[in-house]
Amino acid sequence: MKKYVAVVLLLFFGYYLLLSFLQLDFGRADERMAVSKDYLHESVATNKVANVITSIVVNFRGFDTLGEVTVLFLASTALASILYRRNKPGVKVPKERILTSASHLLHIGAKVLFPISIVLGAYIFIHGHLTPGGGFQGGAVIATGVLLMILSYRKFHVNHNIVSWVESIAGIAFVAIGFTGLIFGTSFLENVFPVGTLNALMSGGAIPLIYIAVGFKVGAELIGLLDNILLNNKELKQ
Amino acid sequence: MMEILSIIGYIFLSVGAVFLLLGGLGIFRMPDYYTRVQAGTKASTLGAMSTIIGVAFLQPDWAVKLLVILVFIAFTNPLSSHVLARATYKMGQKPLSKENIDAYEEVDHSTSRKPVTNKTTK
Repeated sequence: MKKYVAVVLLLFFGYYLLLSFLQLDFGRADERMAVSKDYLHESVATNKVANVITSIVVNFRGFDTLGEVTVLFLASTALASILYRRNKPGVKVPKERILTSASHLLHIGAKVLFPISIVLGAYIFIHGHLTPGGGFQGGAVIATGVLLMILSYRKFHVNHNIVSWVESIAGIAFVAIGFTGLIFGTSFLENVFPVGTLNALMSGGAIPLIYIAVGFKVGAELIGLLDNILLNNKELKQ
Repeated sequence: MMEILSIIGYIFLSVGAVFLLLGGLGIFRMPDYYTRVQAGTKASTLGAMSTIIGVAFLQPDWAVKLLVILVFIAFTNPLSSHVLARATYKMGQKPLSKENIDAYEEVDHSTSRKPVTNKTTK
């Protein structure tokens, strides 16, 4: 009985979704697509950014990206505050994380792959305005490298002070770039820096700068999160 | 000249596709965890590598980048499967065999693990 009701409901909603879907004219540029046409034209002509998506995400909708970064920051802060455990005077905090030590192969492999992943992450967010990817992806790649080290070395620790400093400075840099737009231009996050030529590394004005800041911020946040989770789980077990 | 290069590239691509398909089949058809890991790793490493070599023949401009990807796969794919298999062994999953042969147990005395029955996980 339940199944039939589900099928009837699915057909019902599917029919109406299909009706509204058929009304869209794909591939025809009319006045309803003025915004997207404007974005496509402006990001190459004015911003000189080869990767249109980056231009939209960081410049035209830069405020949205600032909100996303803030959401990530809030999430990591909330998680850290949930997992935070005050060190009681009698309780010794264990310095080692994982019970069985990793194999020799993983030790060597992690040592080789850690710098590569850092470089790859930096490459992704520095070239965010030229190739697919950007600050969020690059930061995630860097955090993956750190996760690899945390998993393979029992005594690998991340300095929380440095991580939180990097995170704060990157966030302040993002907002400061936004305010330069407000001071030298007309609106917050306006692209007032010299844009250079299309497809060059030094192009796009403020866009690569913002993406570098985002990359540092996301990487530092994720590293802090990983360290919090993996360290505190061990403490809870004891 | 270009035609010969592209024919070689397509041969490599089809070899890679065949090995990737066999690897996928192996993950479904093999009886226990370790043989599945073996099928997934060996076949997919060879498949991915030969696909990338095929692409390098088809697009010679990308050869350097593809070489970097090749080295990366050669590093990470066997390493990750080694780690997975080792972790599973330490968790106590015994390899499936009729004579109960477990060669690693004689070498590895570091852990005291409780044996788990020889069931294939679904």
